[in-house]
Amino acid sequence: MSQIRERGSTHVYKVNKISKEEMDAMTARCVYEQPPFCSAACPLKLDVRAFLKAAADGDFKKALQLYEKVAVFPLVLSAGCEAPCEGKCRVGEKGDAVAIRALENAVARLGEASKLGGVFRSKKRKTVAVLGADLFTLFLAGELEKKAYPITVFCAEADDEQYLRACAPHLSDAAFALELKRLKGKDIQFEFDRRLDAALYKEIKENFDVRCAAGAVAKALFPDAAILPELMLFEEEKLVCGECVGVLDAAFGAKKAALTVDRLAQNLDARNMRGSEGACESRLYTDLSEAKALERVAAGEDGYTKEQAVEEASRCIQCRCEECLKSCAYLKHYKKHPGLLSREIYNNTQIIMGDHPLNKAMNACALCGQCTVVCPNDFDMARVCLMARRNMVSTDKMPLAPHEFALMDMLFSNNEAFLARPQPGYTACKYVFFPGCQAAAIAPATVKAAYLDLCERLEGGVALILGCCGAIGDWAGRIEMQEQAHELLENELAKLGDPVVIALCPSCAKELRENLSREVRGIWDVLLEIGLPDGARALERPAALHDSCGARGDAATQAAIRKLCEGIGCTLVDTENSGDRSPCCGYGGLTAYANREVAAEMTESCLERSDAPYISYCMACRDRFARQGRESRHVLELCYGTDAGAPPDISEKRCNRLSLKNELLKEIWLEETMEQKLDYALSFTPEARKMMDERMILVEDVIAVLEDFRASGEAIRDEDGLLVARKRVGNATFWVKFSPTDEGFLVHRAWSHRMRVEKREG
Amino acid sequence: MAVEKNYYTIDPQGKLSCVKCGVPLVKGKAKFMYLDNGFPVELPVCPVCGFVYVPEELALGKVASVERALEDK
Repeated sequence: MSQIRERGSTHVYKVNKISKEEMDAMTARCVYEQPPFCSAACPLKLDVRAFLKAAADGDFKKALQLYEKVAVFPLVLSAGCEAPCEGKCRVGEKGDAVAIRALENAVARLGEASKLGGVFRSKKRKTVAVLGADLFTLFLAGELEKKAYPITVFCAEADDEQYLRACAPHLSDAAFALELKRLKGKDIQFEFDRRLDAALYKEIKENFDVRCAAGAVAKALFPDAAILPELMLFEEEKLVCGECVGVLDAAFGAKKAALTVDRLAQNLDARNMRGSEGACESRLYTDLSEAKALERVAAGEDGYTKEQAVEEASRCIQCRCEECLKSCAYLKHYKKHPGLLSREIYNNTQIIMGDHPLNKAMNACALCGQCTVVCPNDFDMARVCLMARRNMVSTDKMPLAPHEFALMDMLFSNNEAFLARPQPGYTACKYVFFPGCQAAAIAPATVKAAYLDLCERLEGGVALILGCCGAIGDWAGRIEMQEQAHELLENELAKLGDPVVIALCPSCAKELRENLSREVRGIWDVLLEIGLPDGARALERPAALHDSCGARGDAATQAAIRKLCEGIGCTLVDTENSGDRSPCCGYGGLTAYANREVAAEMTESCLERSDAPYISYCMACRDRFARQGRESRHVLELCYGTDAGAPPDISEKRCNRLSLKNELLKEIWLEETMEQKLDYALSFTPEARKMMDERMILVEDVIAVLEDFRASGEAIRDEDGLLVARKRVGNATFWVKFSPTDEGFLVHRAWSHRMRVEKREG
Repeated sequence: MAVEKNYYTIDPQGKLSCVKCGVPLVKGKAKFMYLDNGFPVELPVCPVCGFVYVPEELALGKVASVERALEDK
């Protein structure tokens, strides 16, 4: 059989750029990183979700740290904040919104304040003066102190107590006492009892680098001042000031003003590098079924106690879009949302030299399209992974190892095991039955029964093609090999008189429909039309129907299969994620070859939906479920009363395809085939057979090694007296440990490696 | 004299023999090659015919992990 060329080198300099715009458009569909609606509504950008999580966990210290990031005087803010976050709380759509403001207040009262600052904190060089006493200047002074400016507040009040009263008259006595303590703890210089007039302004203009003033003070000093609200700046005078309405507006104004102070201190335009400020819109998707506790916890007169606060904070459903992560075993395995994983995979394709750490992840996606169905924005991870695979192949960076076995299997299907014949008595046929590679490999008797039945009951002749549809080449990102398969099929179909294709496998049906300009029908539709064959047998127990990923988005096929099951007399049990939301069994996208661990997790996620036996309509699903020990049947086995039994190993799968071809040639077309028989007996220990299956070593590889040994006599004898021979076959060296028997050989162990090894001189 | 670099060494200690030549394998110089990279090693080698033996543990262990690393380059 032909060999697939291994990538020649690790030093590949080619790179095909996927445009950044295209990538951005793809990743932008994922809303995982969008802020929750409460945070988006907050102009101060409080991480409300994290804050409520900390509060719900009873970690008030952490909660307060989060709140202090936006609130320099937490009680002043929380006592009067207008709380637009609550208006956007999604829980509020089903019941009471989470009492975010009351929780902020509770956390500010009960949480342990952080000990920022201290004597070792280095101060900035530029000095700032703040004139007046109102909420804006109070918050601004706090913000600037946090930024380590040497700051002096000039006010008419006599002391800090009067100052705080003037700034925050809305505070209760208890809150006032706490905030006064906080104010005293801050490194702010005060100049009390000052007249805030032009003389003072002149004085500070000479002595301070940046000047700020309360709105009223600025207005008194400069009645015609044009203040830019987005910068909180009277630009002409470089005076930082502004009018604010309400507590939250004052806090937001102070934030903007503090940034303006930064820019002025750096002698920069205040418009420079401001980032996104204020509230924004969010595109996040939230599954509201999570919202269970809908009634707000009542607070006492003094606000929530710690216990009450924990209970109320626990009502937050932590809005986060994880629809795909909930369903897809692949994304679950990598613990990354598709936006992030896509960016990483994209970067992986752009690396010219060095490690490609995402190769494994890129090749582990089943390309099944489940994420696109469950995603509220139709994110298409399959497209990202497939494009990345194609990109890696076209730049010769794709390692062959993950897909080589599957690709060789495809070549085997379309060479040694390939068969195309018209029904005897016909030169051109109306139909051609195309069972696909997996059905012939796993359930050859079922394929034979189905073909004989179609020949008997359909008029116009039913041809047969045993081969691969090309999906394997597609999944591996190797377009050339995919197209070779299509070309082969096109040629054969033309020879057979351009028949209508009757596919046994939904993935083949999809592949052929999308790539060959031919009419393709599923055998399920044909059987519904002509009626069930004699001998159809239902499972005795109720069974779960597993929808094939090849039939995703194909409601007609999904319905036809259910009707077929009903006709046979099967009782189907409901499972979650059925129909279009069905997960992949682990075979799709060649995951089973490229990443067995992820493939096993995919199979597990299919099987955990029900304890019942599984009925599937893709032979690969049937096989993977049976390999996991679950009673598993293909719907055609039930239609034809056949039982493929225990799942075959990789060598049996090849043998089954060849045997089916030879059997049909002999029985239907009366053609004798030359079956190659060994002139010695070859046997395996059960352990050897199991290890060969796990290590993807075929019986034919073992035979190649033994033939080579018989010809050359080259082998070594190990300490147990067993012989070990080797042979390079294609891109791998196979080793076989065996012992001679009277008639031939008994194989004990087998292993392989892809590296070449040779003797070195010197 | 500079010490020659070897990535891996296995000494057969007289436990393995070449069937064809009928002599014990000895620790000999060999080279692994993959995707344009070469690694000098010392493996059991037949001193007569040059048969290089790669034991199962080596193939599935070190060799496999280096293969994976090079494939991801």
